[in-house]
Amino acid sequence: MEFKEVVGRRRSIRYFLPWRPVERDKVQTILEAARLASRAGNADFARAIVVERDALSKADLASLTLPVNAGMIEMAPIHIYWWGDLKAFARDMPSRAAEQVDMGILNISHGWTHTFINEVAYPQVVQAFSSDEVLCAKVTGCEAGLAISQALLAAVDEGLGTMLCTYPEEPARQVLGVPDSWTSLWVQFVGYPAESWEAGGQRPRPPLGELFHEGKYGQPFRGTEEGAARLRAEKMIQDPAPFSWRKEEVRAVSRMLGLPEE
Amino acid sequence: MTTDIENTKTVQAWLKGLEDQSGVSRDEGLQRVAVLQDFCALVDKEPDQIIAECLREVEGGKKIRAKGRRFYADRITEFESSIGGGAGEKRQMGNYIRSFLIHNGVLLQTSPLS
Repeated sequence: MEFKEVVGRRRSIRYFLPWRPVERDKVQTILEAARLASRAGNADFARAIVVERDALSKADLASLTLPVNAGMIEMAPIHIYWWGDLKAFARDMPSRAAEQVDMGILNISHGWTHTFINEVAYPQVVQAFSSDEVLCAKVTGCEAGLAISQALLAAVDEGLGTMLCTYPEEPARQVLGVPDSWTSLWVQFVGYPAESWEAGGQRPRPPLGELFHEGKYGQPFRGTEEGAARLRAEKMIQDPAPFSWRKEEVRAVSRMLGLPEE
Repeated sequence: MTTDIENTKTVQAWLKGLEDQSGVSRDEGLQRVAVLQDFCALVDKEPDQIIAECLREVEGGKKIRAKGRRFYADRITEFESSIGGGAGEKRQMGNYIRSFLIHNGVLLQTSPLS
């Protein structure tokens, strides 16, 4: 699938076929997409634990369940518990940046040297970020989010349904045994969709100019009609919700899965 | 417990929700109410009491009482087991009760049928 169509087809899928397993190589693809995402200082912010639903004990599944994830956690055969490593930037940046200087990725042309890394970038930037709880959480959440976003798109590209949801941090720590420096982010549910891939149509979003500005705040970015037409032709912009048949679809899928229909 | 629950506040809210959100007619809705009545008999509670035990008033809205919700989620499962018929039919009856809770603001999800 072309990139724009993958972006256009991504939806939060909330109905999965509980009985259909996900091939291991597809899970691998999702994780590779996350591994290769952009990340500051080439640090390992995004961490994940892949869990097969059926490998969880009843007690562990129950402890990972929240009222808002209860349906999906039992339907989706694969759960990817995403975490952000709060120590990643401080731990990884000096050696990774140095490595990139040696590899010709960070260069003199842009001011990068081993001296700059050790005497300026690390103490003045990385340490400052890492010692400030709010800044650290902001950077970690943003950087891990980039990886998670690619993981979502990779799942769509593999023909899977996927969505992000919340999970309880402390029980997840116990069940998954993660290090103390990891902070909980989202669980990504993965499976074959039990609903159509359209899932009711592209979600409503405010117009481009309402979200994005040009030059300064208050001056809306203006796209062109031709640009929008091209994105429709290339399937990034698709038919928006609501679809006339959506409620019938939801009833039928709910009935099939034994979920409340009305 | 009274036998006429149709006019209680929470059943009225449910019937309105069924009609507005799911297109369930009033007559069809009343058939669901009869199932709810059986459930109320099982737990020996009025519909308004059930919802009150699952939600509490807080500043600016309502908050779910986890204990109450868990209690009724378990009672619904028991209710399903107590009904005759196939798995699908039992689940359907249980889902009517879940629908009553959901339309009154009690977030409730259930396992898919395996």
